[in-house]
Amino acid sequence: MVAIPAPPDRQKPVDWLMDKLLSGQGVWPAVPAILILVIVAVIPFVMLLSLGFSDFSVSRGQIIDQTFSMRHLGNVLTDPLYWTTFQRSMSLALSTTAICLLLGYPVAYLFLIGGRWTRRAILIVTIAPLLTSGIVRTYAWLVILGGRGVLNNALLGMGLIDQPLRIVNTHWAVLIGMVQIHLPVMILPLIAVMSRHDRSLEEASANLGASRMGTLRHVILPLSAPGIGTGAALVFTLSYTTFVVPQLLGGGNYLNAATMIYEQVVYSLEWSKASVMSLLLMASCLVVLVGIALVTNHFTRWTRGRQG
Amino acid sequence: MRLPDRLAIGDLLGTATIVALGLFALFLLVAPSVIVLIISFDTRAFVSFPPQGFTFDWYLRVFEQRVLVEAMLNSLQVGITVTLLCIILGVPTALVCVRGQFRGTTALSIFVLIPHMVPGIVLGVAVLFAAAAIGVSPSIGLQSISITVFVLAVMVRTLMSRLQRMDPALEEAAANLGASPFQTLRTVTFPLLMPAILAGAVFTFIEGFDNISVAIFTHGFRDRPLPVELLALVQTTNTPLVAAVSGVQIVLAIVALILVASSIGLDGVND
Repeated sequence: MVAIPAPPDRQKPVDWLMDKLLSGQGVWPAVPAILILVIVAVIPFVMLLSLGFSDFSVSRGQIIDQTFSMRHLGNVLTDPLYWTTFQRSMSLALSTTAICLLLGYPVAYLFLIGGRWTRRAILIVTIAPLLTSGIVRTYAWLVILGGRGVLNNALLGMGLIDQPLRIVNTHWAVLIGMVQIHLPVMILPLIAVMSRHDRSLEEASANLGASRMGTLRHVILPLSAPGIGTGAALVFTLSYTTFVVPQLLGGGNYLNAATMIYEQVVYSLEWSKASVMSLLLMASCLVVLVGIALVTNHFTRWTRGRQG
Repeated sequence: MRLPDRLAIGDLLGTATIVALGLFALFLLVAPSVIVLIISFDTRAFVSFPPQGFTFDWYLRVFEQRVLVEAMLNSLQVGITVTLLCIILGVPTALVCVRGQFRGTTALSIFVLIPHMVPGIVLGVAVLFAAAAIGVSPSIGLQSISITVFVLAVMVRTLMSRLQRMDPALEEAAANLGASPFQTLRTVTFPLLMPAILAGAVFTFIEGFDNISVAIFTHGFRDRPLPVELLALVQTTNTPLVAAVSGVQIVLAIVALILVASSIGLDGVND
């Protein structure tokens, strides 16, 4: 046997590059992405961390005279204003997540039991809002809930109330807006999990005499635990860290942690406080996410235990 | 006999409640956009419902406002830059993550996916402060690169799930038939990846165009993108003008939806 070596001049540099790319030898095709992520995400985050733990001043948009200090962290942690703000963010985000689950799960259930056209309609209605901007969707709620808005006009017209209800600029407006804006993010993971279900499990459950509710509680619900976990994590993160909805529907006097950071950075230029608050926002968010992951894991393991 | 009856009634009530909640949720998702669309055609100069006339005036006014048109052009520029960067950076990265035959591919994919899980506001603040520290002022460029880092994960994830389901035998066949690696990439791999690239492009473009959490901290002082301009506009005006801008965006969203549906199918959005 004569081995025919590939003529070396045929292997053009371009082909050599492409060959590496296709066969997955070496990490280098990903290097540009890694570099940009390090420069634009990792380094800024490390700097944010260092700013949170230092004294510095800002002059003409530049940071000067940076020295290590725990002062700002201490200030924020001992100021009751920040505690109430974070509490407000937390309770708002948790109730948004709970209501989204309460409204989103039935939609996913409709998707599960629905025919082809029902499924398609649900997907369109769920995905379309994700493609429009959050500001547009929040604006819609200003129109609906406002003093001369759709809801008040309808209630006045029906004679249910004598004077317009004051909804915008209250906690309720923010909550309603939050729920509606983040609902699709809850529904999509639920649908994803449900469409992977083995339908025969439900049929088996029905054949064994379980009612619809029984099947839902003992078969569908445990199997969709991972979807609930993903959806809850996404909705929590988004509603815990958004400033658009509270800013617009809360009328500027409803402060959550995110709106506070926004005002500190853009208006009052308190960058040390903003750094500390951003770090605390992320840390507290992470704690809740880990909690959600643990609970989900617990239920998933429980389901697997029952199955096996 | 009574027990099954009671069960059946309970079952019916339970199902009815769930169906009612589900329909209410679907109504909640659709109603706001529909109301905004209706109001954008109203003839009155203040926002009220139901409308009392029909006119395209507000849409014409949107395009007469120089600030808004410039903001739209800025956002368009950011959206296109973000999309192109995500394709250029994302395709090789996804290939490495899926096909890489070395340790650390999982670590790499996690590293790429993490920035999307960081709250946008934290990333925005971090980039702004880091840029300030080295004396870079916010600009369209800074905004584009920050949003790219934020949404690269979406592109990579879409591509990875497509690559994982792709049959490597097709590329091997091309190579065995004498195609050069470049030809294989051009005639086999890319056409197979195209639907995923298109779907990823739609989502990264929308994020580049609409993102506010990162954009509000990194946009140039003179080059305000549309979301930032809209946020200010919503807080200061009470005319159907904003509704008309929203109307334009809703139409764009419908176009995007059709693009997604015809590229990877609506079910593919979740993968």
